[in-house]
Amino acid sequence: MANKRTMTLNLTDAEMAALEALSTKKDLSKTAILRQALRLYQMVDTRIERGDKLFFEDEAKKDKAEVMVL
Amino acid sequence: MSAETIQLQMRADSTFVDASLLDGMSPPDLLVVEAEWLTERSLVMQELLRSAVPRSAWPQSIHWDWRRKAPELELLESSGFGIVIESRWQGVMLTKSASHFATLAPDKGKPLVYIDYLEVAPWNWRIPEIARAGRYRGIGPTLFWRAVRQSADEGFQGRVGLHSLPQAEAFYMKCGMTRLGPDPGKQNLTYYELSSKQGMSLLKQGEAP
Repeated sequence: MANKRTMTLNLTDAEMAALEALSTKKDLSKTAILRQALRLYQMVDTRIERGDKLFFEDEAKKDKAEVMVL
Repeated sequence: MSAETIQLQMRADSTFVDASLLDGMSPPDLLVVEAEWLTERSLVMQELLRSAVPRSAWPQSIHWDWRRKAPELELLESSGFGIVIESRWQGVMLTKSASHFATLAPDKGKPLVYIDYLEVAPWNWRIPEIARAGRYRGIGPTLFWRAVRQSADEGFQGRVGLHSLPQAEAFYMKCGMTRLGPDPGKQNLTYYELSSKQGMSLLKQGEAP
């Protein structure tokens, strides 16, 4: 297991509410949710830097929209 | 990289040998894996050709190249596990832990550990057509079991998903996974999933399937 370090995180009420809602929905701890978010953000950022594009697709409506990540 | 000692059985005489199950492989490790396996892959291919074995009976991962998968390990969501005996890689697995989600009820939408690639070393392949018995038994099941443990460690309660090569489907069924059918988005490979109930049951057994 990799070494872990502790940090303090300041969140607004809305951010904390979103984190708690996701934690309940995904049945994960708040730490695990934030860890997942970081992994996803890094993966998306890396792939976009490689030249890939990120899309959301609605199969039923045949809608496809590119997500711009800045 | 962290390691734990496990025991694996030699097929030739059923004796057990100590092996290291490693967690935290790095991209250079995958270069070493392919350097070790490439010659053996070529030998197997030559024997298959010489014996006129139909392509349908060839190991379906024979064309894999772990060097190409090395960049994946630079991502936080990717993990590399391997089994080493006497300084040689006997099997390797890459998993992803952020971009795949369960499709089975009641955990639909919850994260799972996705096995991206799992392969045993070519000298461990069993290919009766060319009289290859394979050196060590249990490499694949041990790596699969490690993925279930990773899922539990991540808080995913043993949920695991993967797309299986046709030759490996019987093995994943034996592991207790649910077959969810061919996936057109993944070369029509069959998607399999281990639910939290199935995963936790596997972990309770305390050993690889």
